[in-house]
Amino acid sequence: MGQPVQRVEDQRFLRGLGRYVDDVDTGPGTLHAAVLRSPHAHARILDIDVEAVLDLDGVHAVYTHDDLTGPMAEPLPLLIPHPALTHGRTQHALAKDEVNYVGEAIAFVVADDRYVAEDAVARIVVTYDVLPPVVGLEAARAGERLVHDDVPGNLAARLEQEVGDARAAIAAAPHRLELDLTIERSACMPLEGRGTVARWEPDLDRLQLWTSTQTSTGVRAAVAVKLGLDLGQVDVITPDVGGGFGVKVVHPWPEELLVPYAARALGRPVKFTEDRREHFISSAHERGQVQHVEVGFDDDGRVLGLDVEFWHDNGAYTPYGLIVPIITSTQLLGPYKPGAYRVVFESLYTNTVIVTPYRGAGRPQGCYAMERTMDAVAAYLGKDRTEVRAANFIQPDEFPYDHGLVFQDGRELEYDSGDYPASLEKLKELVGWDDFPAYQREMAAQGRRVGIGLACYVEGTGVGPYEGAHVHVETSGKVKVATGLTTQGQGHATVFAQLVADELGVRFEDVEVVTGDTRRMPYAVGTYASRAAVMSGSAVHLAARRAKEKALRIAADALEADPADLQIVDGVVSVKGAPDSAIDLGTVSVLSNPLRYAFDEASKAATQFSVGDNSLPPVPEDEEPGLEGKDFYSPPRATFASGMHAVIVETDPETAEVTILKYAVVHDCGHLINPMIVEGQIHGGVAQGIGGALYERMAYDESGQLLNASFMDFLMPYVTEIPDGIDIDHLETPSPLNPLGIKGAGEAGVIPSAAVFAAAIEDAEGLAIRAMPISPSDLHTLRLSQEHPR
Amino acid sequence: MKISGSNVVAHPVGEVWDALLDPRVLVATIPGCERLETTGPDEYAMTVTAGVAAIKGTYAGSCALSDLRKHESLVMRLSGAGAPGTIDAAVDVAFEDLGAEGTRISYEADATVGGMVGGVGQRILASVSKRMAAEFFGNVAGAIGQATPSAAPVSPGAPVEPVATARAVETSPGVFTAPAAPTSSAGVSQDFYRGVGVGAGLVLLGVVAGAVLGRRR
Repeated sequence: MGQPVQRVEDQRFLRGLGRYVDDVDTGPGTLHAAVLRSPHAHARILDIDVEAVLDLDGVHAVYTHDDLTGPMAEPLPLLIPHPALTHGRTQHALAKDEVNYVGEAIAFVVADDRYVAEDAVARIVVTYDVLPPVVGLEAARAGERLVHDDVPGNLAARLEQEVGDARAAIAAAPHRLELDLTIERSACMPLEGRGTVARWEPDLDRLQLWTSTQTSTGVRAAVAVKLGLDLGQVDVITPDVGGGFGVKVVHPWPEELLVPYAARALGRPVKFTEDRREHFISSAHERGQVQHVEVGFDDDGRVLGLDVEFWHDNGAYTPYGLIVPIITSTQLLGPYKPGAYRVVFESLYTNTVIVTPYRGAGRPQGCYAMERTMDAVAAYLGKDRTEVRAANFIQPDEFPYDHGLVFQDGRELEYDSGDYPASLEKLKELVGWDDFPAYQREMAAQGRRVGIGLACYVEGTGVGPYEGAHVHVETSGKVKVATGLTTQGQGHATVFAQLVADELGVRFEDVEVVTGDTRRMPYAVGTYASRAAVMSGSAVHLAARRAKEKALRIAADALEADPADLQIVDGVVSVKGAPDSAIDLGTVSVLSNPLRYAFDEASKAATQFSVGDNSLPPVPEDEEPGLEGKDFYSPPRATFASGMHAVIVETDPETAEVTILKYAVVHDCGHLINPMIVEGQIHGGVAQGIGGALYERMAYDESGQLLNASFMDFLMPYVTEIPDGIDIDHLETPSPLNPLGIKGAGEAGVIPSAAVFAAAIEDAEGLAIRAMPISPSDLHTLRLSQEHPR
Repeated sequence: MKISGSNVVAHPVGEVWDALLDPRVLVATIPGCERLETTGPDEYAMTVTAGVAAIKGTYAGSCALSDLRKHESLVMRLSGAGAPGTIDAAVDVAFEDLGAEGTRISYEADATVGGMVGGVGQRILASVSKRMAAEFFGNVAGAIGQATPSAAPVSPGAPVEPVATARAVETSPGVFTAPAAPTSSAGVSQDFYRGVGVGAGLVLLGVVAGAVLGRRR
């Protein structure tokens, strides 16, 4: 632990040897699916005519909603119910009577290959009664048009939380400010889209499903229910996943049900691989919010009262409940402790793609609201922005710090540990905060505009309910580790192997990790909320400890020593101080499983005439055969990581292009298992955040058409847009909640992006930035509006 | 998506109006238009093939005219659907008599382009459709210059003489099909535009068909 061990996965990935869902080869009999999707944002379906498809060569089946039976015909599950979600709605696997966004699945064709399937889709004639769509939060709030007839005001949910009396505190404060902020939609955009392959095994009466998901156990449960199968009849295997970033935690996607449904009905393997346009219009988006902040503060900038209202665009349906806006409303507080806090949000329907967590999951919006407010307070008081923040920090001796709110996991928002003043000092040092004004003046003298911004965040990571792990020492001494959550590139095979090697005392190279395979670990939750290292890491550690304890018990017996006197180093159990008295862990594994039959030299040692005390049962009471350890980790609540980013930008006086001159990160995720991987996560997050802050948006027109549904028009940053160096410093404030003292790190890099760029551009331009992302043309327009105020 | 523009055709407004209301002219001059059928008073069904690279296909569409003010203006509602996408458009078309210079035709279209074309091709639709509109009006001017149509009323089922240069064919009463080869005035550029036009062809139809498809009351 703590070593920058190179990722074992990268050899495969970099050499093109990764195996993704589309690479799963279920043989030449495999059929391929394509989906007919709505071209309209809002329409009633009057008729679906599939006549022209039925006699097409190579077509095996075409499904519309009318063809679905039982639970398959019911709406998809509402995964995370919440009492405030009074008007939750989910779509059907195939649209029933009505479509509510461009891209909603209407018909599902299974054919010999994807070409035939797509040709067949093109022949289906749907008659629509096109309805006026609701696009954008303004239209949703107006409520003149409704997405769902039975949801008045398009209001899915309204949730209010308050600690103290925020409005009274603001009214009584010496100073007051109001801010209106907007932040637009973007999306995860993993390079590998969604994909599912299913094979029904008639001989075994069971289903095998490979799917590109962040929760194989979630998919398994959903498929079993929808297809009327026992859980034990369904295996879900997650192969390599080419990026998730949140979108793949949603499940079951229509195709994740339709593919196995068709595979069972047709008796042939069926594959669906999403294309890029489908990913844009039929997966999920995030981020879009409008926010209104009122803040009351004293002469030092200490926030006495904070009252936040925001409106969250949840798209056409709410399969993932209120997780995103709940996270915004709670994590908005960051490292600060306002005197009183009230937050109200409305989650509203629009005729657009669903909104579900995207890396950061509501935190970027909350951080943006809070940090814009801090900057506005500093500007109002003429104070340094870091001073105002420092005046509001929760102090190191105040942990655990209970905000008095309910977090996304239903538990209290109680920060476990942190040291925000120390982080701020490190950041100021790293970015050269105190020297910047001189630099800015120097550049201004040359006619150049530069600006600096900072943003702080706290991220609740490692939420429950639990994860588990299984560690098995083979008779060869190799160690097989399984944990149920899935991997989308985080390096789990490396870090979990590190943890096992450390705890069990084996060579790192001898540990092999499997994730996301329900055959190996049927009890698991999923990979989201920066929880894999905390949850599965802790479980792996605990499971390795159990395996170690068992190994020591058996070895102690064999070596006639006290377990307390034994150590395991590089896979060899030995008596401390007596290296000659030793036994391989592989041999211990042999001994752990009393045998009647020998099958090789090693196993002879465990057969009935070779081993054991004749007066005792071969397997002692309270033991099981095999050298294995299994354990689960279930924390009382999340652990709260934190960080602070600063950026120096230059804005072009003519073109309004924004160039990043320096990007600095101070990051605290407790103890580091692998600093190289943590830094990689930060790099990736920062890059994704730069995209979200400066380039990406979902360009919906007023009729609900997504105009930039391709990589031609949706601008993802290239390496050319990412600064050459990102300066990173770590602070390690351990979490008291888990055995390793770790906190999550996966999402952190992306959280402060909108906030930090808004701050730096504001500083460079002397213009209040109230809407993100900001493109050169947005900045240009903003300049004009300031030069020529209407 | 809103598209507006204007083109000047070097012919008197009367000739232009008549030509643009003649389905034989239209089927021959609208890029990608293969078939046009009168389905009722001021209503037409048509088939258009257009495509950009992979996004190509045949659209089945219809249009309905209203508010016909002879030699002045009309309103056209158009809808079409095909594998590549859908279009719905309302187009206001105005004719202005410029005397010796000819006739200015101005159009304002409010179009909803959906499906694959909407997401992938929309960026180029507005500019391409404007250029296609210009090309179309050039075709029309050419057709008028070479063989002014009879301007006789056409009613469903009535036989119509084909326009000489365009050689549109009325295959059955009220049904017009395009000539096998592209019209000469379009030349190479028509293929180019047809290639990049995608839904722009349909948007253009909204624009130009509104101006040109029609019958006298």
